[in-house]
Amino acid sequence: MNGFLVPAIGDQLDVLLPYLVVAGGGLLVMLVDAFVRTMRKDHLSLLTLAVLLLAALSQLVRGGGGGEREILSGMMAVGDYARFFNYLFIGCGVLTTVFATSTFDRDEHYRPEFYPLLLFSILGMMVLAAASDLLTVFLGIETMSLAVYVLVGGVRGDTRSSEAGFKYLLLGGFASAFLLMGMALLYGFAGGTAFSDISRALAQNSGDMSLALLGGGLVLVGFGFKVALVPFHMWTPDVYDGAPAYVTGFMATAVKAAGFAILLRFAWLMQPQLAFAWYPVLTVLAVLTMSVGNLVALAQSSLKRLLAWSSIAHAGYLMLGVVTLISPGTGGSAQMVLGREVGESAGSALLFYLLAYSLMNLAAFGVIGAVGSKGREADDIERYAGLSRRRPVAAAVLAIAMLSLAGIPPMVGFMSKFYLFSAVVRAGLVPLAVIGVINSLVSVYYYLRVIVVMYMKQPEADSYEGGEPVAIGAAALLAALVLLLGVMPDSLHRAALIIFRQITF
Amino acid sequence: MVLTLNHFLALAAVVFVTGMAGFVVRRNAIVMLMCIELMLSAVNIVFAAFARHHGDAGGHVFVLMNFAVAAAEAAIGLAILVEIYRRRRTVDVDELKSLME
Repeated sequence: MNGFLVPAIGDQLDVLLPYLVVAGGGLLVMLVDAFVRTMRKDHLSLLTLAVLLLAALSQLVRGGGGGEREILSGMMAVGDYARFFNYLFIGCGVLTTVFATSTFDRDEHYRPEFYPLLLFSILGMMVLAAASDLLTVFLGIETMSLAVYVLVGGVRGDTRSSEAGFKYLLLGGFASAFLLMGMALLYGFAGGTAFSDISRALAQNSGDMSLALLGGGLVLVGFGFKVALVPFHMWTPDVYDGAPAYVTGFMATAVKAAGFAILLRFAWLMQPQLAFAWYPVLTVLAVLTMSVGNLVALAQSSLKRLLAWSSIAHAGYLMLGVVTLISPGTGGSAQMVLGREVGESAGSALLFYLLAYSLMNLAAFGVIGAVGSKGREADDIERYAGLSRRRPVAAAVLAIAMLSLAGIPPMVGFMSKFYLFSAVVRAGLVPLAVIGVINSLVSVYYYLRVIVVMYMKQPEADSYEGGEPVAIGAAALLAALVLLLGVMPDSLHRAALIIFRQITF
Repeated sequence: MVLTLNHFLALAAVVFVTGMAGFVVRRNAIVMLMCIELMLSAVNIVFAAFARHHGDAGGHVFVLMNFAVAAAEAAIGLAILVEIYRRRRTVDVDELKSLME
């Protein structure tokens, strides 16, 4: 009886440890804030950083081999794939904590609820990246989203923040309903919620295929909303604009990476049988997402909106990788060996791209948060005029981030696009690669405009000149990583390849 | 009349589409939240029906989790909405325009 109520998790504790640390740490930070009166508010940030560090360290504790290991009766599969994403989420969390705390210090307005919510959303992402059951996908995505809704909308007295949060919640709930309906239909198709059930039902061709097609499509709508694919992107510019810069940076990196972590796994799961139906749809979505994102970004005057549209465009590039992964040429029985190799190169390019994109985007949002002044975010591109003279380090960091986002060597943004587009070409999808390259060329214009304003224009009376030393220092560290990985990307790329090979069902 | 799986699926489809249409047509934020709840109820019907059809308990577990998450989502939505209402004195989503350019 006891064994039924309490599943034997004793031998899984080593793998579960990071999850327990983040969950327990979130509760601890919340309780400390509520009950420990002698604690200064900014000590919460140190506590949060300690929890994240501990979670990263606890990932090093693990038993068994490097492959994926099913835990909690097959609910989660933890392997190097999940660990890679966990490090990414924890890293984003650390930097977001630093950026947020420096903003709180400047505004003298603390949001103590920020720290536990950040930890809970990271917990949701970690569960999502390791999910191997529809139920864990659902719980992970909702844990993440519910926390992020409050992060976006929880700035007291800021109408823009509340409206952004509410808009995100309404449309997010709407998309979740589609996601859930898709899951329900997939459950009806497979007769079980585990990924292994679905993959078995697909392989045996048992069950009603139309259920699988419709269910998979609805799940795709839900994921497409989370990673902001056109035409499910309408919330992105408003929410990115209305949320405080540190939350926007977190959403553009960690939330997007979490969305792609599960989208990638799900696409790889559904690929063998459903490539014929998904492939054309996803191709259209990828091309639309890139093109719309880049074209609308050209016309933006607000830097946060510009980066919102740029994040949509980058989701389009990432979708190119997903399309390559599931293209009929890969994994199919005809050219099994070659196809699998191409699929793996696309998968590893995606992992590399997500990491690179997180580095450069966090650096950009770090600077945006740092150069504003009390109660006024640095949003208007024109008012960045002369930043290079007033705040040379901040301007240099933002310039490196922009060049990297545009994909100009020797930044890591160039290498990530190089790996991605070469995987697309290897799969024989040359037209898609050409569209991707043309889109990158278009994007250079609006990224360079920011640099031109910073370096070529004279500063004016109302130009931004804030300089939070800690935030700018952290952003400079990111910029250094962007350069370093851009020059020496090889070892990371090889690691990404090994990580991707371990996904199994 | 014998109720089959298809009857339940048809009911769920009707409820889901009602919620969806309501979400798209209505501009009152509270009604829109209720429409989302309606869509989630339709999902629960599908899960319960398939759980019975397959003789598998996983679907029932999903329904229970769904209740909890939907309640949390509604609570957060209403909390943010109260904050908005205090400042703007409206729950009409067309009036929430401070983010438009």
